[in-house]
Amino acid sequence: MRIRVPTLMISVVSTVRRVWKRRMRFRIGLIIVSAITLLAVLSPFIVPYPSEGWGLIPLNETNVSGQPPSLAHLFGTDDKGRDLFSRVLLGSSTALLQIVLVVGVSLVIGLTLGVLAAYYKGLVEYSLNYLIEVFLALPAILIAIPLKMAFGPGLHVIIASMVLTWWAWYGRVASVYARSVCEMDYVTIPKLSGLPGYKIVVRHVLRNVSPPVIVQAVTDFGSVLLEASAINFLGFGLPPDYPDWGVIAQNGLYYITKMPWISLIPGFFIMVTALGFSMIGDALRDELDPKLRRRWRLWF
Amino acid sequence: MVASLNYLFKRVFYSVFIVIGIIVVTYLLIILSPGDPAARWAGNPRGPGAEKAIEFARVELNLDKPLYLQVILFIYNVLTGNLGVSISTKTPVLTAIWTHMSSTLELLIFAYIIGIPIGVLLGVFSSLRRGSFKGDVLESIGFIVANTPSFWTGMALFLVFSEVLGVSSYGRIDTRLATIMGFKPITGFYLIDTLIQGNIILFFDVLKRLIPPAIVVSLYPIGTGIRVVRVLMSEALSEDYVKQAIALGVSRRTVIWDYAFKGIIPGLTQVMGLSFVYSLVDAMVVEYVFGREGLGSLLVGAVVSNDFKLAVATLIIISSFYIIANTITDIVQAWIDPRVKL
Repeated sequence: MRIRVPTLMISVVSTVRRVWKRRMRFRIGLIIVSAITLLAVLSPFIVPYPSEGWGLIPLNETNVSGQPPSLAHLFGTDDKGRDLFSRVLLGSSTALLQIVLVVGVSLVIGLTLGVLAAYYKGLVEYSLNYLIEVFLALPAILIAIPLKMAFGPGLHVIIASMVLTWWAWYGRVASVYARSVCEMDYVTIPKLSGLPGYKIVVRHVLRNVSPPVIVQAVTDFGSVLLEASAINFLGFGLPPDYPDWGVIAQNGLYYITKMPWISLIPGFFIMVTALGFSMIGDALRDELDPKLRRRWRLWF
Repeated sequence: MVASLNYLFKRVFYSVFIVIGIIVVTYLLIILSPGDPAARWAGNPRGPGAEKAIEFARVELNLDKPLYLQVILFIYNVLTGNLGVSISTKTPVLTAIWTHMSSTLELLIFAYIIGIPIGVLLGVFSSLRRGSFKGDVLESIGFIVANTPSFWTGMALFLVFSEVLGVSSYGRIDTRLATIMGFKPITGFYLIDTLIQGNIILFFDVLKRLIPPAIVVSLYPIGTGIRVVRVLMSEALSEDYVKQAIALGVSRRTVIWDYAFKGIIPGLTQVMGLSFVYSLVDAMVVEYVFGREGLGSLLVGAVVSNDFKLAVATLIIISSFYIIANTITDIVQAWIDPRVKL
């Protein structure tokens, strides 16, 4: 016996196709995100100065430092003479890597614990909800600092600090959805007929809770990027020569009046990417959430 | 009355529990990371006094005792305000955080005083014009603002102010002018301090340096204001009591502000309370961009000088600030909203 909520019956492809047809915002967002993804995938092959992109300082540093954008250096060079175009290009893959890792890992943890918190009553429910509350209050930017001091700078710091806070958010969203799913007949009837708890959780609760939570996760891609780059900008996550948009923007902070392109170009990329992801997420949520779908005009 | 007190106590009790949870998590963060926790707590000292400093840190963290006792003693120390002396500033950690936090709070509060009215007005305006060109433009502005990194807006605005308008917005106050005029910080909120001392020139100097970062920080409440008010207001306008008011021929302005808007105030309070807390991080970033003394600069300094104690203390205090702010928001919301049973 398989009864599922309508959102699950619609396959991903047909949903995307439908939203594509109906929402301008989704189209723009998808185009932006595909372009950035393409850049990230192709970046190792098309980057003009790979070693400078990864943070090495060129030999004739004084000759090329702080050049404005030109044909040889599309985005100019930074304060240490590195080609900014290479660094920004490599930064796109760093950005996508951070987003995917943070959202992926926290989604798995959050979904599991959130569903468990809703399905099992009593001590499990209380302790899991308590954990979620505690971790929701910890700001990622402040966890990153002690982590960086203990483990040294790197990708692991930024991923760990952000996962530690974001899982709680998905845990809460999942447990809110799961609480209503657990009242459904397709959960109570197997429970009465003696199906073991873990099977009900995996087969019935998790399957019906995941689609809305995943949509929520897609909406958050942009915010994850913004938060990660804020942490990197303050220098709490990645080391100072890493090709990351936040780090590059920080490198240019002291030269903002003389060489504004160093900071403004990577910042612009962050904005465009975050906008693209948010547009996709927003359109998906509008389309899949029937409560907000209502379209009407004021009559007076 | 008894019921509302009951709710209040429950809420406060629960939040105290969560603060304790936060302290435990941070202690585990100290203990479980690799290396010698005592050495890190003492700031990885080198040289002749190193042994002594590490031994002192070991006593401070009670590392010779069993784990559960360590945790309990750490909680006790934090709750009695004993977090030690910062390595970089050589002052008690709590004092350092408090003096820097007043600057951040000044920026935040000023930004919200600008931001909330603008956000709410624009949100109401755009909800009344849903589907029209103006409404769509406003919604897009809210959308773009919500997805722009604050350091980028900050740097762009800094450039505009310094290069185009020729106004220096770096720092909190003109330090030379302040020394000449004998300015002394009293409350830590420089706007109030200068007014208390009757120093109008310095007041405008502080204001001049406060406005650009405040504009950047206020973009977040404006963006959320537009989006949230738009959604809430659209829902409120389709409620039955609003329809009835329209049918009775109540004027447009009264319908919008006295009927529909009044209904969304509780929801708006909660969202704004949450966003105020989230803006704290924004404010830290913006402070760093504009070179203002504040939590942002304090933490960047802590990272440079490897000040583990300060980092941990800030984590605990700001997370508790989150919890306290949330609790206050919830209580205020319950107090405003007659539908929420106390």
